[in-house]
Amino acid sequence: MAIADAGGAPAALLPPGGRREVPTGRRLDRERFQWGSLGLLAPALVLLVILFLIPVGYAFYLGFTNLQLVGPTALHYHFTGTDNLRRLGSDNVFPKSVELTALFVGGSVIGTVAIGLALAMLMRSANGLMRIVVGGVVIISWMMPAVTAGMTWYASSTAGGTFATLVGSGQSDFLHSHPLLIVTLANTWSQCGFAMLVLAAALRNIPGEVMEAATLENASAWQRFRMVTLPLLRPTIVTMVLLVTLLTLANFALIYIMTQGGPGNATDILPVYSYQQAFSFNNLAYGALIGDVMVVIATILGFAYVRASRTRI
Amino acid sequence: MSAVTAGELRDQPVPDSAPRVPEPSRTSRRIGNGLLALIGLMFALPMLWLLAASLDSSASWSVELPHFTLANFQAATASDKLHSLWNSFVLSGVATIVSTVASALAAYALSRRRIPWKGPMLLIVLFLSGVPMSILIVPVYQLFATQNWLSMIPTAIFLGVTAMPFEIWLIKNFMDAIPYDLEEAARIERANTWQILTRVVGPLALPGIGAGAIYAFVNAWGSFVVPLVLISDPNQQPGPIAIFGFIGAANVRYGDIAAFSLLYSVPVFILYALMSRLFTGGFTLGGAIKG
Repeated sequence: MAIADAGGAPAALLPPGGRREVPTGRRLDRERFQWGSLGLLAPALVLLVILFLIPVGYAFYLGFTNLQLVGPTALHYHFTGTDNLRRLGSDNVFPKSVELTALFVGGSVIGTVAIGLALAMLMRSANGLMRIVVGGVVIISWMMPAVTAGMTWYASSTAGGTFATLVGSGQSDFLHSHPLLIVTLANTWSQCGFAMLVLAAALRNIPGEVMEAATLENASAWQRFRMVTLPLLRPTIVTMVLLVTLLTLANFALIYIMTQGGPGNATDILPVYSYQQAFSFNNLAYGALIGDVMVVIATILGFAYVRASRTRI
Repeated sequence: MSAVTAGELRDQPVPDSAPRVPEPSRTSRRIGNGLLALIGLMFALPMLWLLAASLDSSASWSVELPHFTLANFQAATASDKLHSLWNSFVLSGVATIVSTVASALAAYALSRRRIPWKGPMLLIVLFLSGVPMSILIVPVYQLFATQNWLSMIPTAIFLGVTAMPFEIWLIKNFMDAIPYDLEEAARIERANTWQILTRVVGPLALPGIGAGAIYAFVNAWGSFVVPLVLISDPNQQPGPIAIFGFIGAANVRYGDIAAFSLLYSVPVFILYALMSRLFTGGFTLGGAIKG
């Protein structure tokens, strides 16, 4: 029973409506709508609509106006149609920014999920002291406020910092020579703790019987990992990939504190570029439009995620 | 026959005394511990500066052996800094409670109940978790200003709401993996929805809810731009903004920044230590539905 349920777990992640088969462990009769469900949903619904959905809709609209931070159109702004879109088309920094964002997010996601999974697996057989110390360090790096993490990484990677001292060339400035790599590492560093927590919790949900059965079949450690652990973790890993992508995409403070998008435009990822346009160059509306682009990208990724979690291997 | 080495023999499961869950051998355990130590060291490396600078009377961006002093920590625990720490607690506490309670209830309904337009609703939640906070600031500021909400508690609720899409998704995934049989058994025993939530689904989904709550707390604890813009009273500002008090017009007090940053990490670490029992404690689903 437990094994059948574990096998059904990926199906439980399917969004309803697209469900083609009824997973084991679920009721077979058709459930009826209960008014009590509304009571359960109400707090979340009210809060999300007022403080999230409506502001997002409004921010979307702002992207198509001539709103500025200061000046005559700061108060009396109006809808300008596709003016901002045309400006986006002829903006040289924008495509570069999209490319940098893709590299930054891609690198962070691969690093975070791989290291997070490695940590979660290693933690299980680690001795108590090691678990507390390493777990503590990783969790602290995740929980550190972005302001602190940014300054810590700036200090470590700039000239005279820990990395330069360690390599033996005190004055080399890694943040200046490899800016994108350093900020990607910093972001990975600051997100691994969360990946570790969630993956460790998911690992605990794998019933011992499944592993026992695999061991009795003489499966090697690698086979147990490839054939049992990985498929059972798949829904969680797919979810983690999406969540880390979204968190990285929205991670503005860390990179802004470390580089402000520089040197040049070397780390000018979309959230930073959006902020610069809005608050440094006073183009609130154009900044909002770049924000809209990020929302569209996030939505496309979300749909891709739904599709990915629908196919079963 | 002689091809079977002692190592292989040891690795063979012995039928009578076979362990329930395979135990890794001592060597692989050592390799695992070594790898773990290595990864831990890499994670600790950037923190070196933080430690050294917090104890250094002449700290700068460079990492060096400190001229030992505790003055930085004295500056970091001055009464106005402690007050900002307290503000952080209120802000993050309210945000965590609001978002976790609302998210857990919604996640349960979305996981178990038949709800019209559930698919689109989940897609909207997913979409919201990808919205960058920076684009919300302007509209939310306008809303808060017109409603006279530019203070700590409304900001805390807003910070909680920003964590909700993520939390709903996370907790729902955990609840989906809990077999329906348990709940059905409880229902046959005439348990009502509240009892099922608090006695059956809640405890089983606790690692998921705990992960969600930690996420909400950390999300609020580290937030910088949101409180800066949405809280008008300087006396209500949380820790990350207090750090900027150390950056004077003439000089930056690196040592004080490092000391305060370290102090600011302590509560979240304690929170994690308290909650880690959820993740490593005796939580197994397999035994619950046997027999």
